Amino acid sequence: MIMVRAIVRPEKSDDILAALMDAGFPAVTKYSVAGRGKQRGIRVGDITYDEIPKTVLLCVVNSEDKDFLISTLMQAARTGEKGAFGDGKVFVSEVNEVHTISSGAMEGGDTISQEETAS
Amino acid sequence: MKEVIAVVRMNKMNRTKEALTREGINAFFAHEVQGRGKGLVDESLLQGAEQGIPEAISLLGEHGKLYPKRMVTVVVPDSQVRKVVRVLMEVNSTGSRGDGKIFVLPLSDAARIRTGETGEAAIA
Repeated sequence: MIMVRAIVRPEKSDDILAALMDAGFPAVTKYSVAGRGKQRGIRVGDITYDEIPKTVLLCVVNSEDKDFLISTLMQAARTGEKGAFGDGKVFVSEVNEVHTISSGAMEGGDTISQEETAS
Repeated sequence: MKEVIAVVRMNKMNRTKEALTREGINAFFAHEVQGRGKGLVDESLLQGAEQGIPEAISLLGEHGKLYPKRMVTVVVPDSQVRKVVRVLMEVNSTGSRGDGKIFVLPLSDAARIRTGETGEAAIA
């Protein structure tokens, strides 16, 4: 499984959440962050704003859904035709195990044997 | 070294903190997050919003409601992963949908800023 963390414009997050729901990725966690990118923030006159508010959307999905999820995110998060600076980034990382607390069910777990889990 | 990320109910945070400390895991950090799962949420668990907590109400959009959650991140050596997962499970389990998820991610390195130690020494 993989964890996809997308840093997006806060004003786009509703659109993206809707797009993810339509694409069959209902499960998402969202939190607010502040950051800057390669453009070193936004300069307006003499003032540089380098703590720009962003929203992080976190999804954990099966590895085979990676490309579809990323293209869905890209389409929904982009502003204008070609996109603009500040639309954000998508990071993908490996997830070894996923546990559902309510049922105790586990998915993945390829690195550590099931026997250890039971003990 | 592994990063254990758990998304849990907000009202379980105090018990989660206590339990982790009791098991000797003192270091962790937490985020306030909003999230949704597979869309199968028991509406009776929405009492927070009904009681008029503004953050809760503002999250109830039309496209899949987002519920307030806490995200707990613990970085531990491989040998302690099982213990952390077990503790988080025990404390946060109510048996209803919406209890949350626990993700275990591989982590390549860590550094302690104060001393410059890296690897397992940094998280010991």
